[in-house]
Amino acid sequence: MNFTELLPELLKGILHFTWGNALMITAALILIYLAIYKEIEPVLLLPIGFGCLLANIPLANMTAAQGVMSVLYNAGISTELFPLLIFVGVGAMIDFTPLLAQPKMALLGAAGQFGIFGTLILAIAIGFPLNQAASIGVIGAIDGPTSIFVATKLAPELLAPIAVAAYSYMSLIPIIQPPLMKLLTTKKERLIQMEYTPKPISQKTLAFFPIVLTLVVGLLVPEATPLIAMLMLGNLLKVSGVVDRLSKSAQNEIINIATLFLGLAIGATMSAESFLNLATIKILGLGLLAFALDTVAGLLFGKLMAVLSGYKINPLIGAAGISAFPMAGRLAARVANDEDQNNFILMHAMGANTAGQLGSVIAGGILLAIVSKLI
Amino acid sequence: MKYVVNVAEKIYEVEIEDLHARPVIARVDGQEFKVSPEDDMKPADQKETRELKSIELSTPTLGPIANTGELTAPLPGTIVEIFAKTGEHIEAGQVILVIEAMKMKNSIRATRAGKIAEVLVNAGQIVAHKQPLVRFG
Repeated sequence: MNFTELLPELLKGILHFTWGNALMITAALILIYLAIYKEIEPVLLLPIGFGCLLANIPLANMTAAQGVMSVLYNAGISTELFPLLIFVGVGAMIDFTPLLAQPKMALLGAAGQFGIFGTLILAIAIGFPLNQAASIGVIGAIDGPTSIFVATKLAPELLAPIAVAAYSYMSLIPIIQPPLMKLLTTKKERLIQMEYTPKPISQKTLAFFPIVLTLVVGLLVPEATPLIAMLMLGNLLKVSGVVDRLSKSAQNEIINIATLFLGLAIGATMSAESFLNLATIKILGLGLLAFALDTVAGLLFGKLMAVLSGYKINPLIGAAGISAFPMAGRLAARVANDEDQNNFILMHAMGANTAGQLGSVIAGGILLAIVSKLI
Repeated sequence: MKYVVNVAEKIYEVEIEDLHARPVIARVDGQEFKVSPEDDMKPADQKETRELKSIELSTPTLGPIANTGELTAPLPGTIVEIFAKTGEHIEAGQVILVIEAMKMKNSIRATRAGKIAEVLVNAGQIVAHKQPLVRFG
């Protein structure tokens, strides 16, 4: 073999490298940079970023049929296993006490889902078919697992940009939400201090809640059952108080392993060929709009509740009526606290936030039910 | 839970949902009262029933109370760090301690300047809403 034949073989990786790959690797490095140096959702962005990096190394074959990324994707994303396992962990971390103690917060969790339907209509208007439009709308609730669950069923071809949008907007909550909060509320509204008079919640109520909710949602919206059931299973492990080991595993090992593999598998779908196209840009734009609309709907509903309650409810908690738990709840509390160092609306915001978590799962289920009948 | 209270020879039946919630919600003869016991710590015998009602029917005070000698917990949670020391002079706005609630750390600041007469809580302690944290001297 002479050297001129050997050289292309040695350099084949570089020779197959495209500008698209370079662009996607830059994107991957930005995600990794944000995770490491800005500590923005590192648990998600680090695996997604690294997965994206791997997907853009030509001829590495990690995303080919038998490649490790494809194996992970087929095992956990196509089957919806990873998002459901993540929900077991999320359920074990959620404390429904602030919601059960202040049941009217459930209204904010419902209002926060408006953006899903608003974006769906808009996505249809700019030419997406119904199944894709519905999957894009779910981004608005900033619920990664539900977005993946719905997209896998309705529009698997859009899964990568949808998952990337849901997870990156989740990490951008502290950047996207505050301007909207400031724009839509007056200083006077943000200064409203809220009385915290929780109804005492018994251990029995806490334990019955996940069981009853699973049955009620399951019977009303069967399509939402897998998501709500896994979420509630995790919660039951926690509140029952008798399986501390299982609850701890759900909160740590199970959710961590599922998040790592989900992040990697999703990141690995971000290859230049499949990701760099107009549809991705539209989806990222619509997803951002859906998120903004959800926030706006929540805030406006919060303002309505403020008026109806005689200014005893701080409308900022409306912005927490989305799924991202506990980031959205903490952020609403922080914005109120920044305005007045002695104002703490955390418990109320968390009530709205847990309601938003339930609301997005139910909204996702309703969308699945309606859209799968229509297509 | 129901309590029987005897005030000036008259028997009242008081129903209280949760004694640890702040304010305490009490129902007396179908009327609802919100009471923050730590806020008005006056000697009980000086209080007439009528006076009591007028105090409690007024708008409930929110947040840590500036004009009483105590700083109270604005939200329930666990005390994770205490910065203020007994005898120390602090400025309004200075961080007194940190309460962790829903896995979020909340800096609790002094609502007034003054000397701290007593720190009423310990690190690691779980506090209820409106529970006194420090007493000013």
